[in-house]
This record gives sequence, structure tokens and C-alpha cells, in this order.
Amino acid sequence: MKEHFKENFRNYFIVVTLINLLMLVTGKIFAPEQRFGYEVFIYPLVYGALGLIPSIFFPEKKECSMKEYVIRQMIGAIMTAIIIDGVIFTGKEMTKEYIVIALVNAVGVFVIYALVNLITWVLDSKTARELNEELTAYQEKLIPRGRG
Amino acid sequence: MKNIKKPMDVEVKLIHPEENEYVRIGCHEIDERVEEITGFVKSRQGNLEGILNGEVFSIPIVDIYYAESVDEKTFLYLKDETYESRKRLYELEEVLEPHHFVRISKSLVVNLMKIDSIKPFVNARFLCKLKNGEEIIISRKYVKDLKNKLRGEDR
Repeated sequence: MKEHFKENFRNYFIVVTLINLLMLVTGKIFAPEQRFGYEVFIYPLVYGALGLIPSIFFPEKKECSMKEYVIRQMIGAIMTAIIIDGVIFTGKEMTKEYIVIALVNAVGVFVIYALVNLITWVLDSKTARELNEELTAYQEKLIPRGRG
Repeated sequence: MKNIKKPMDVEVKLIHPEENEYVRIGCHEIDERVEEITGFVKSRQGNLEGILNGEVFSIPIVDIYYAESVDEKTFLYLKDETYESRKRLYELEEVLEPHHFVRISKSLVVNLMKIDSIKPFVNARFLCKLKNGEEIIISRKYVKDLKNKLRGEDR
């Protein structure tokens, strides 16, 4: 449970950072003249929290394979896109422009999911390197190479 | 001036098959060197019972790559063979822990001396490649235990 919380906590801050980037990129493309108030700072925090809903409410019950993990992530991304677009566009009349923005948001969510996995992979590569060094030292302490 | 110790002479002799094998150390004092050697010899001792095709075998612990619990049964995996064990995984963990084994997931205890390398896997887990080419998963929950074991720290 603690590990699950730590993982979600770490992912939350990665997701918030990436949502900031997504908002910057999509804003520059679709509404470069748009001006916001201070409330805009809350959006990435709220969307980041919404993005964690699938993994909070549907935690892994067992160790899944690569294939199962990819499927889980895709379902999570679809659910997140639906939740975020739902929050943004509920009660609004869907114009052509809104549909384009909703689709861009959905693609952005997929990109964020991919980037979160990439960043996690890079961080874990460092841990793996440390583990390999410590493992080699451990094994050599017991069976020194070049001796016996 | 620091007293530099001479290297130990190493003598190996063949004995009669009926005699018990032994390791004897002749030393001036029981220092770190001697303790390391005795620790190593002790770590090479020990056997476990394993069942294969209804026959019971005595398996040297050093030959076990990992122990796994699958559907209420426990198995011991060697380089090429798999034996069933009568012990539960937590019982095996207690026996194997002093022999450089560590738990890496809810259902698996691995021999650190049989790990070839570790690489990242999906979802903050790691893939552990063994010296026989087999790959097993290290759960994120047990990464800390693995680090502690490698650093010689208590859990």
C-alpha cells in the first residue's frame, strides 16, 4: 500500500509537469492570444489528480506481464482522457473547435502516459546500474575473481 | 610499522570416499581473513530436500537458483531442473537467507550468487537475469530489501 502511494505520488508530480508542458504547447497552437488569471495554476494540479484516478481505484492486484501492463496503461489513458475532457466540456455545446481541442487533449494524455513511463524507465535505469554495481561487489567479496 | 601477513599456503589433498570431507585452516590468530574463509565455507554448506518424479533428492543449497511458490506449492529451481519442496516459501526463506538468498517478490526468493544482471522493467519493477539465462521479476516493494541485503544491512 505504501509503495502504491509512493508510486502515485511520484507519478503525480511527473504528470503535473507534463500537463504544464501540454497546456503550453496546445495553447501556443490553438489560442496564442488567450490570457488567463492566477486560477490557471490550479489546472495542472487538478488534471494531474484526475489522471491518477484509474490507478488509485484500480490498483494492480498481482504482478502483471509486459502485455498486461501495456493494456492496463492504455485503458488508464483512455479513462483519463474521458475524465479530463468530461470535466472541461461538460455542459458546453460541442463545436468543431471544441472537438478538435478534446481530441488534442486525448492525444496529449497518451503522450503524457508514454512520457511518464519513459521518465520512470530512466530513473529506474539509474537504480538498476547501482544494483548491478552492488551485486558485483557482493559476489566478488564472496568469490573473488582471478582467485581459486 | 604495520605487520604485513604472508599469504596462506593452500593445500588440497584427495581423501578416501568414506572419510568426511573437511577444510582445516592453520593460522596464527582468528582474524578477519580467517573469518571470511570460514564464512565462505559455511555458506557453501547445507542441503534441502527436493522431490522430482516422486523421488526425494538432497539438493545442495548453492545449486538452487531460486525458490518460488505457485498455487500453494513450492518449487526449487536449479540450472536445468525443477524440484518440488515440502516447505512453504516463508520456511524456505528462513533457511536460505543466510546462504545469500533474498526475497524479491511475494512468491519468490532468489540466490544472489546466481544473478547475472538487473535491468529496469515496466511499472517501477526490475528484471533479474540469472546465470542460466532465465529472467524473473523483482517487485518494487522488495527493491529496498534487495539493496539492504547487498549492502549487508538488516531489513
